[in-house]
Amino acid sequence: MTTQLPPGMHLETVDDKIMTLNVGPQHPGSGHMRLIIKVDGDYIVSCDPDPGYVHRGEEKMAEYRNYIQNIPHLERPVIHDSSNILYPYCLGVEELLGIEVPERAKYIRVIAAELNRCIYILYWLAIYGIFLGHSTMFMWPAGDRELFIDLLEAMSGARVTHAYLVPGGVRNDLPSNFEERCLRQVEYFEKRLKEYEAVFYQNPLLRARTEGSGILSRTDAIRLGTTGSVLRASGVDFDVRKKEPYDVYENLDFQTIVLKEGDSYARSRVPYLEMFESCRIIKDALKKMPKSGSVRTKLKPNPKGGNDEVYRRIESGRGAIGYYIVSNNRPEPYRVKISVGSFRNLICMPYLLKGEKLGNMPAVYWGLNYWPVEADR
Amino acid sequence: MSNVIGIIRALNSGVKHLAVKRFTLRYPEQKLKFVGDGFQFNPETGVGIAGLRGRHILFHEHCTGCQLCSVACEGIAEAISMVKVHETWKHNKKAIMPQIDYGKCVFCGLCVDACPFYALYMTNDYELSSFTKSALIYTPAQLAIKPNISQDVEIKIDDRGASHG
Repeated sequence: MTTQLPPGMHLETVDDKIMTLNVGPQHPGSGHMRLIIKVDGDYIVSCDPDPGYVHRGEEKMAEYRNYIQNIPHLERPVIHDSSNILYPYCLGVEELLGIEVPERAKYIRVIAAELNRCIYILYWLAIYGIFLGHSTMFMWPAGDRELFIDLLEAMSGARVTHAYLVPGGVRNDLPSNFEERCLRQVEYFEKRLKEYEAVFYQNPLLRARTEGSGILSRTDAIRLGTTGSVLRASGVDFDVRKKEPYDVYENLDFQTIVLKEGDSYARSRVPYLEMFESCRIIKDALKKMPKSGSVRTKLKPNPKGGNDEVYRRIESGRGAIGYYIVSNNRPEPYRVKISVGSFRNLICMPYLLKGEKLGNMPAVYWGLNYWPVEADR
Repeated sequence: MSNVIGIIRALNSGVKHLAVKRFTLRYPEQKLKFVGDGFQFNPETGVGIAGLRGRHILFHEHCTGCQLCSVACEGIAEAISMVKVHETWKHNKKAIMPQIDYGKCVFCGLCVDACPFYALYMTNDYELSSFTKSALIYTPAQLAIKPNISQDVEIKIDDRGASHG
């Protein structure tokens, strides 16, 4: 007897030895997503990631709001990295509307973006630590993150959703003696960051679990179209800040972190080493920043873009974020397309998890620097 | 052997922290100090003044009832609605002023950016929780009150680590 099935569906043969597990959709780490995993004993046979639980329609919402009103809701997909997700939007809108950005504002934006990158990576590291059962590594980054949150709070006035970057510069100038305070806290943080090395990264228990698990080769990383720390952990030297510098990144002194191993350990180490580079950028930007001057170009009340389109991208904590914005002589954009790093890294998951032990799944999953809310937009 | 040394090193770096002061802010007793008196905006230069984006403060003597704050909030949170006030101001013929629903407000501060008459600023007051939803709606009279707050703790950094006072 043949059964009529709706198009696109098929029957699966059941194997007694294989068990199907649903990991999620309740917060496997942050944000809702599901992994449909098939296991043979303790080993993963196949993995099917199932995103889409936190789709909010950000792109469609952006078509009904003007260029300034879009700011608070476009940062919602990654509230921990809100300056970085707004950055390409601001760059794109500036190009569409033909706005010049003051020199001081460019430096302030870079400082805000780098502080935010540290906030994101520390949050990510805290979750990575607790995924592997290392509760010290949860407490330390979560505590040290406050240093940067306080700095951004002094800059922008909000602890998490800053809405600080706008087309034409930044919302407000830095408060008095910010430079001194920022320098002191960043220098203390660099000292603190070195302690993570002994307690976490050189810890033999962590290395035994993560080294050699979920290896992504250089060719596979390029073929699968990965981005950000996943790409750099597989030995590809690509960072948008170096390759297509935006604002003042070309004047600043920093390196791209590249590791060759491509395993879960390398993927967890690249963001950690990048925090040292972020601290270097912040210190360098504070030194090179013009001490006074305008920070925001005044816009017309309801600015309109011409019949034009633009694509700008930047490097965020999770990889390249690109904004494709189309305008059609109206105060609202005609179309906003957001291309995010998280979604592009998700495709590695079925390849990396095949043949792994189930216990190693969190290390591989979170090492991909995947943020479900950002991927679903 | 190297594994044993690694584990001892990891333990040692944790044990060192027994002697370090805690970083935790003891919240209801201690409150963080913020920069300035809250987020403000200068419509002449088009640039804001740094400060915490907490509850708003409304200056009745400056408000003209132009509704620009309410228009700015449309499509973001829709927290601001214009209500009638029983006051007579020469510059506010319609006698309407903003009323803010803090159950909806996202504290983006774009209403402050929109006000051209220096009438709406934000303050350092962030403790807005209440037992009822209706208590979250602040009328123009409630918004005019300057909050009474004491925030004095700052991050202290010395050789032994960072702490909150």
